[in-house]
Amino acid sequence: MTLTLTINGTPRTVACEPHESLRTVLRRAGLYSVRYGSDTGETGAAAVLVDGRLVSADVMLAAQADGHSIETIEGLSVPGQLHPIQEAFIEAGAIQSGYSTPAMILAAKALIDRTPNPTEAEVRDALSGILDRETGYLRPVHAVLRAAAKLRGEEPAKVEVAHLDRLEGSTGAHRDRDDLAPIAPRVVPSPDVPATRVVGHAETKTDAVKLAKGNPAFTDDRDLSGTLIAKVLYSPHAHARILSIDDSAARALPGVHAVIHCGNVPRVRYASGGQSYPNPRPYDQVSFDNKVRYVGDRVAAVAADTEEIARAAIDLIKVAYEPLPAVFDENEALRDGAPVIHDEPDMDGAYDASRNIVHHIEARTGDVERGFATADRVIERTYRVHQVQQTPLEPHIAIARWDSDDRLEITSSTQVPFHARRMLAPLLGLPVKRIRIIKPRIGGGFGAKQEMLIEDIVGHLTMATGRAVRLELTREEEFMSSRSRHPQTVTFRTGVDAHGKLTAQEMRVVANTGAYGTHGLTVQMVTGMRGLSSYNCPAKHFDCDVVYTNIPVPGAFRGYGAPQALFVLEAHMDDVAAAIGMDPIEFRRLNWTRVGDPLDMAPQLGEGDVEAGEPPVITSSGLEEAVLQGQRSIGWHRRGDPDWRQPADRPHVRRGLGFAMAMHGTAIPGLDMGGASLKINDDGSFNLLVGATDLGTGSDTVLAQIAAEVVGVGVHDIIVYSSDTDLTPFDTGAYASSTTYISGTAVKRAAEEVRRQIVDRAALLLGVDAASIDLHDRAAWSADGRSVSLAEIALSTLHQQGQHQIMGTASHVSPDSPPPYAAQFAEVEVDTETGQVTVRHLVMAVDCGVPINPVTASGQVEGGMVQALGYAHCEEMVYDEAGRMVNPAFGPYRIYRADETPALEAILVQTLEDSGPFGAKAIAEIPMDGVAPAVRNAIADATGVRINGIPFTPERVWRALRAS
Amino acid sequence: MITSYFRPRTLDEALALAARADAVVLGGGTGVNAQPGRAPVVAVDLQALDLDGIRADAGRLRLGATTRLQSIVDSGHVPEVLRELARLEAPSTIRNAATVGGTIGMADPESPLLTGLLAFGARVGLARVGSNAEHPLDAVLDDRHLLQGSIITSVTVPMGGRAAAHGTARTPMDAPIVMVVACRDADGTVRIAASGVASRPVLVDPQRLGELAPPADFRGSSAYRAHLAAVLTARALASLGGGEPA
Repeated sequence: MTLTLTINGTPRTVACEPHESLRTVLRRAGLYSVRYGSDTGETGAAAVLVDGRLVSADVMLAAQADGHSIETIEGLSVPGQLHPIQEAFIEAGAIQSGYSTPAMILAAKALIDRTPNPTEAEVRDALSGILDRETGYLRPVHAVLRAAAKLRGEEPAKVEVAHLDRLEGSTGAHRDRDDLAPIAPRVVPSPDVPATRVVGHAETKTDAVKLAKGNPAFTDDRDLSGTLIAKVLYSPHAHARILSIDDSAARALPGVHAVIHCGNVPRVRYASGGQSYPNPRPYDQVSFDNKVRYVGDRVAAVAADTEEIARAAIDLIKVAYEPLPAVFDENEALRDGAPVIHDEPDMDGAYDASRNIVHHIEARTGDVERGFATADRVIERTYRVHQVQQTPLEPHIAIARWDSDDRLEITSSTQVPFHARRMLAPLLGLPVKRIRIIKPRIGGGFGAKQEMLIEDIVGHLTMATGRAVRLELTREEEFMSSRSRHPQTVTFRTGVDAHGKLTAQEMRVVANTGAYGTHGLTVQMVTGMRGLSSYNCPAKHFDCDVVYTNIPVPGAFRGYGAPQALFVLEAHMDDVAAAIGMDPIEFRRLNWTRVGDPLDMAPQLGEGDVEAGEPPVITSSGLEEAVLQGQRSIGWHRRGDPDWRQPADRPHVRRGLGFAMAMHGTAIPGLDMGGASLKINDDGSFNLLVGATDLGTGSDTVLAQIAAEVVGVGVHDIIVYSSDTDLTPFDTGAYASSTTYISGTAVKRAAEEVRRQIVDRAALLLGVDAASIDLHDRAAWSADGRSVSLAEIALSTLHQQGQHQIMGTASHVSPDSPPPYAAQFAEVEVDTETGQVTVRHLVMAVDCGVPINPVTASGQVEGGMVQALGYAHCEEMVYDEAGRMVNPAFGPYRIYRADETPALEAILVQTLEDSGPFGAKAIAEIPMDGVAPAVRNAIADATGVRINGIPFTPERVWRALRAS
Repeated sequence: MITSYFRPRTLDEALALAARADAVVLGGGTGVNAQPGRAPVVAVDLQALDLDGIRADAGRLRLGATTRLQSIVDSGHVPEVLRELARLEAPSTIRNAATVGGTIGMADPESPLLTGLLAFGARVGLARVGSNAEHPLDAVLDDRHLLQGSIITSVTVPMGGRAAAHGTARTPMDAPIVMVVACRDADGTVRIAASGVASRPVLVDPQRLGELAPPADFRGSSAYRAHLAAVLTARALASLGGGEPA
């Protein structure tokens, strides 16, 4: 049928099928800002304005829009000028990956057009249809309020760092904080940190403008006409042998170009986790196997002219299965007689595949038996942590094609382009040199994309057809067949002496790695490392079985084993404090690690090449200050106020406050490596090429700030490109909280090399000694106040004399992994009659060393806390008895919305970490660690009931309250 | 899968199309389009029929069938409890398209708005070829045959009552596991409706809550839902006692 749509003021005639969504038709018309998040309209990434109303283009037929006026972000900005709402989003730091930013800006426009002076509640309601996994909504909400002020003709104050008074060791009065702007990044400065010009400042993101404009920047935004559409046939059985596959009917369907499965794809074993060479064993996967091990496992894939044909072809593939008994629980999988999930003859590298044990991990320090024997009290509890998903709003997507040199070019939403290239080569039978992986902007990853998940499928299909092939997972497929967080059953035993000092800690873990072992070893090593590193204790024991089951595969998820460990540890520490009658913070303070203390589990549980023997030592900690700051912000003193704890108007409600301490790592020592290359252009600007993979976190901006600081320019004089295996230096990728620390140091070194070359030429031009030259304000300055601009230096070196390209390349690997520390606080209300928990306030004070960009660092904390709150409170992957996920959609799988997110506060406590660039440590993952135990401990504070499993959904809490 | 799309200009045209066995009537389309079946269907879009709008009419409030949920949220005429239930029904991007008629047509078992409309004693205007009639919402939810070949034209609720809604959910704006809405009409009649205790929102008798056999899912067992129904009904009735006019 033919439609007449007025798109951004221009009448257009478009052809479409009656069933096609408005999103599909708008994207086909070149409006790439309208983005896929799901088919059910819940994500809002495809929200547009129809006659001025914000609607989801996922669930509106294009036909329904016939005759109506449609606005997308493309219509909002005139060339060379941003709309005030776009400016406000950039200034407020509201953009992380930017995948849903166009939809949020349109929501703002519709609201402000109708309500010029909206309340915060009205803004949150307007944004309620646009899910965000990244920001925690705080900055987008305040960006909308800021935009409204701008459009009323007001000039909102610049977003600048708010310096908080240091509380540690201070007894004087402190400035009231109530008048601080909610989005002013809160920094507690350290006197040790030297002044800097770019680093440490609230710079706007380098990619913010293009994201605010909705420019085509993501994998699916490339216009490759003639691209075939791939679809995958997934297993309907949790465990089955494939007896035969008949693909003849599918192949005969007109428009089908290839059908691939175990019958026609070579059997090459691999492990899909995106990790350094050599990938940890076992190699328990092949592209297409003759056995399926979970509902959602791959069976076959097709490439066809259209999505409809591809779907029809999938339905025509006839597969004969022999269903096998399945097991889903990690403890049952260990029992005698449990189904053996990896019984294939070429299976190798597992600890004991016949008992479903992929890995057995054991580590100990000191004399654990003696530690327990000499303890005054020994307390043991068992905890369960469940399976949740990363759910980046942009699902996995990859597009493969042969380039003009007959090399396979794959554009992919990946966190690990270099690992993916290396891992792909043997599967496809191509040398690494014939594969190029391009990582454009990514709509979030959170570890889900630290995986070579679908690149092999599009690679095989392009090789089979000679055509470009695109595969994008639907939301349901993303839930059922991508990756998730490992569930664990954990028994924690603690010995404590009469004074409250720890004498022994033991952690026994049974971890569920689902059908495949990817990341199963290293995630659980992190569980042991993080569970047994926060506190000093003379004897520690970690014992872990990583077990195969028939659930969809867990993998890397922000935090990587630490959120599990720290839920258990911090719940347990509260339980121990209660059991011995100590204040929960005083008990921890008596035992927590300080500067100079050893990280005694690191030699055994560190993933990288740490020499066995002397453990590394903690070199910086702002924990004490972080705890004091957090206590003050959450109002910790209210714990003792009975009137506050029991609101008079709601007799069934109890209020409580909870605390958890978190300690994380910064990169994998001796393993994570990043490279960077910096070169000058004629105008004194620079190209920074990094393999580091910005997935929305702002790492490109942080790296640009580091380069800019060294060479004396502003951040927007650095043009960052990341990442492309042909063009940028190697980087292990975006994971393990490594980018700022590892890639940042590589950038700093490359920039220092460039700086030497600039200074040499400046000395020549100014006729002074190089040692006397300083770089700032895009120029080189001599001690007598004369200067030569970087543009003049560039022109001199490129064109005029002694010509050479001023450039530097460097890489970095660190022997250290200095821990960031955090104090997490939560305020909750518990409805004691229904079990409903309402989380009112989350505060996290974190020592990440020197935050290179306090705005993006705060955004990491705010968004991380909300993602962690989902883990604690409402998210869960649930299966029926046949292993089918029952809630593979947003809504049933609940992630927090803008109109229900609690108050959030991030406080950045500076320390100077000498091993990091400009004193930086990591920030990306630690926000995932403390929320679940803090909420759990707050529920215990409110009700006296200690719940040893997450999530705290109403019936679970009600049952726990009833049982007490 | 939708194979044809029609946008009738008159109710008669719409009724003729709706009479087809393969017809699917679209209010805002947000529900139908989110779950397209494999079977070929014909979409009948009511947007051109001028069925939207909210007005007071002889002591009753009349919501046209294609009134968007957002219009209910924004209306000064609609009782506050119903406005908040319409807000809870769906997020902004859906409320701006979804309609009250479509909400009745989809009959989501967890619908807060339907629960509220039931408690308010809503009546549904149904047009059929050659007849127009009003049916109690409860009857329309009970007998889905009533909708076959029909077009929902309106929903009306009496004005001047008091109402209160209490629900339990995982998060503040999540679909409630159980929600109870109690309403007392101007004439003193009290109705109580609940979601999450049956296969659809139902009217309940507070004296006979023990007879409920709620369907279980992962968010709530049958026993838990029955417990919630009792607790929330007691709260709703308590709120009605001293509450402001709805």
